[in-house]
Amino acid sequence: MQGWKEKYTSYIKKQQPGPPKAPETEVLGHSLADNLEHLQALLGSNGDFVARDFLLFGKYEAVMIFFSSLVNQEQIQEHILKPLMARPDDHQGVPENLDGIIHYVWKIAVQVTQGNSERKLSCLPPAIVKGNLVLLIDGVPEALLLDMRQIDLRSVDQPQTEQVIRGPREGYVEKLENNLALLRYRLQSTDLRVEISPLGSRTRSRVALCYLDSIADPQLVAEAMRRISIIDTDGIIDAGYIEQFIEDQPLSPFPQVQNTERPDKTVAALLEGRVAILVDGSPFALIIPALFNQFFQTVDDYTERFIMGSLIRIIRLIALASSLFFPALYVSVISFNPELMPTDFAVAISGGRAGVPFPAVLEVLIMEVSMEVLREATIRLPQMIGGALSIVGVLVIGQAAVAAGLASPITVVIVALTTIGSFATPAYNAAIALRMLRFPLILLAGMFGLYGVMIGTILIINHLLFLDSFGVPYMSPFIPGKWRDWKDALVRVPLWWMRRRPSFLHVRDSARLPRAVPDVYEDQILQQGGEAGERYPSDHDAANGRRNR
Amino acid sequence: MNATRQITTLRTAAVIGSTIIGVGILSFPRYMAATGGSSAPFVAFSGIVISIACFWLLASLCRRFPRESLFVFSRRLIGKPLSFVFAVLILLIFVLLTGLTARQFGDVATTVLFKKTPIEATVFLMLLICQLSSRRDVIKFTYIHFFYLPLIIGPILFITLISMRNMDLLNLQPVLVMPSAAFWRGAVEASFLFQSSFIIVLLVPFMQKPKQAVRAGVLAIAVAGIIYLLIVVAAIGLFGSEETKLLIYPTLESARSAAVGEGFLERLDAIFIVLWVISVFTTLYSTYYLAACLLQQVFAFRDQRISSTLILPFTFVMAAFPANVFETYTWSLALGAASMILLSVYLFLLWSMYLIRRPRKRGAA
Repeated sequence: MQGWKEKYTSYIKKQQPGPPKAPETEVLGHSLADNLEHLQALLGSNGDFVARDFLLFGKYEAVMIFFSSLVNQEQIQEHILKPLMARPDDHQGVPENLDGIIHYVWKIAVQVTQGNSERKLSCLPPAIVKGNLVLLIDGVPEALLLDMRQIDLRSVDQPQTEQVIRGPREGYVEKLENNLALLRYRLQSTDLRVEISPLGSRTRSRVALCYLDSIADPQLVAEAMRRISIIDTDGIIDAGYIEQFIEDQPLSPFPQVQNTERPDKTVAALLEGRVAILVDGSPFALIIPALFNQFFQTVDDYTERFIMGSLIRIIRLIALASSLFFPALYVSVISFNPELMPTDFAVAISGGRAGVPFPAVLEVLIMEVSMEVLREATIRLPQMIGGALSIVGVLVIGQAAVAAGLASPITVVIVALTTIGSFATPAYNAAIALRMLRFPLILLAGMFGLYGVMIGTILIINHLLFLDSFGVPYMSPFIPGKWRDWKDALVRVPLWWMRRRPSFLHVRDSARLPRAVPDVYEDQILQQGGEAGERYPSDHDAANGRRNR
Repeated sequence: MNATRQITTLRTAAVIGSTIIGVGILSFPRYMAATGGSSAPFVAFSGIVISIACFWLLASLCRRFPRESLFVFSRRLIGKPLSFVFAVLILLIFVLLTGLTARQFGDVATTVLFKKTPIEATVFLMLLICQLSSRRDVIKFTYIHFFYLPLIIGPILFITLISMRNMDLLNLQPVLVMPSAAFWRGAVEASFLFQSSFIIVLLVPFMQKPKQAVRAGVLAIAVAGIIYLLIVVAAIGLFGSEETKLLIYPTLESARSAAVGEGFLERLDAIFIVLWVISVFTTLYSTYYLAACLLQQVFAFRDQRISSTLILPFTFVMAAFPANVFETYTWSLALGAASMILLSVYLFLLWSMYLIRRPRKRGAA
């Protein structure tokens, strides 16, 4: 947190100058034994703590301190221990006294890419815990820190929660460096700023805040830093912890921070002017601000051609709406307004419901709750059993419930449609929010019929309209919004038509395509259709031609 | 991010439009037929003209004080005590209006569609969501209206136009009758429906271009007026003026007669009622919000959270008061007349004081 506070204040200072901060002391002593004792007192007793003493160049007493679980011991042996323990006659230029020894070791002896020297005793324990090796020499009030960190983690893998048909297959892993590398690999821009600092008084998890300096709104970046800086907790285990500390409205069922496992999605968000937060140890990046709009968009919408992308997006929206309203509408129509159905259908339904002893509300509630239980169980179980269970659940339980007279066949159909609809929502947390909201809606429908559903809907919509995510209204670009932002809302227009970044993000530079492009060729596309090839090889070539001119 | 002047002209128009279109659309053709006979559309048209004139008086005064709401600058114009009295009176009117509108809504809802639901529950739920939504600031208030407006206008237009297919033009003739006392009474009654355009006084201080307040309001009243006109034309054209007088909710009957395809969408009236709930909500929300803001200014509360809660029991009691549907309508007509007189007196006072004081102001500047 201290680091974040400093970053936050320094960021603010860039805009408006203020007073600098005073550093703290407690320096290393000359005696090796004393220093070692102090260090051990600070670190406590640990099984993987190693203090290896040896004679530096056969002359000076020295100790290497590190955690064996965090470092690459082979490399230590090869690139540090071996040159340092060499006989003095192998080293021509070894200083006679101790004054330049640290300098000599760093410049000539060890073969390590990252490291620094440190005089403050209090700085050593955090560095050791991070995976550094500390070299202490008797009689020298200075320590050499060498980065030997190596932690074996799983390799870059296909993201589990966000599958795509067409698009990159890489997902984040747990290690922050790898994730940042994935980001930098996709966004090779000098504009990408990555602010890293530890968070959590005990876990000291490194948190990275990424944004594009020339695009992102400085107010947004400052606000994100401010909210992170006031987090004061002992541990950040996952990005989800940070999400809960920084969101605008914790009591809302709707997520106001987007999380993603996909570097390409993160890069797209950064390019739009959003801010991403990554945490060491978490394979999820947080993206802020997150709007309702984002929760039914996927990577496929953009990688696939625009007509298909738009149609599928609309299908997804229908699925999302049906996962919320379907059971409630069913209950209210069945129990209050059966006259709304076509007569034949109403007869069929009442025939199916003849043996069911419960009112429609109860019947639907029972089925919905058992469906939720099934869903939760399938997630928690090992993958092989999970598949078996879902078959058992869907086929056997549904069939048996109908046969036993617990539910009517149409109820099973409704519940199944609802569940499938909610699985079509790409964002798991948004899908959960909508799935849970359908229970109060069912209850309202059971009590007040269609009127209850209407009241519930108005409440939900009003809540959505009232929400903000980092100062951006949650329902942007619908309400409030500019027409040009609708190009990427319900439908996704061609990429070359989206010439500017979303206006609700208040970006510094809103141009995505060069402004000089003349008004695009919708007219040609509409008029000429497939015959465009006669006059122009393609519309894009025409566009390029005009742009060059 | 934090600009206070955010409300665009279009959004202002949306607020006023969705406020005006409300509970009245169901019974409106009946009033008009009762006072104008076959020239009912013309009565409605005169009513719209009257309300545009009234609105112009109000909004053009407001836009001369773009930084303050009506109740702030009226203190300077007519003095604190008098403006306090007027604020309290207008507050009372809007509390009563909210209660009576909620009651009218409850009557329709229980008689037409939600027969098993007790009217108290219907009314209370509606007032409760108004209360819950009234705790937010004016900017969010406009978001709500802007969002719902297409959902209100679209279905009403669709269903009215469909029902117009079966219209008999003979029912609408003669288009013009000799304007009588009843004719003008009808026109004034029609203008009561547009009284809630008073909501503009809350919006002007937050508008991006306060100069366009009049334009926004006139646009909104014109659009809402066209919809009301269409409804009247459809009802009279379908049933004839004598039959329309007998129907409690003529618009609903004309929606009932509308059908698309063969049995594809048979019961359009049910969909109509369900979507009508939204238009009632936006109307009630506006009057409720206005009442809450007035109470907040009268008692100088910090924000309208407390005042919105305080108003809830009063509106609910008011909604429970009328004994039956006819009493509700008589009372709401009386309330409309009362508020018409009150607002005219208030506006007359403000305008005259403004005109008297203006030259001195110019000299000072």
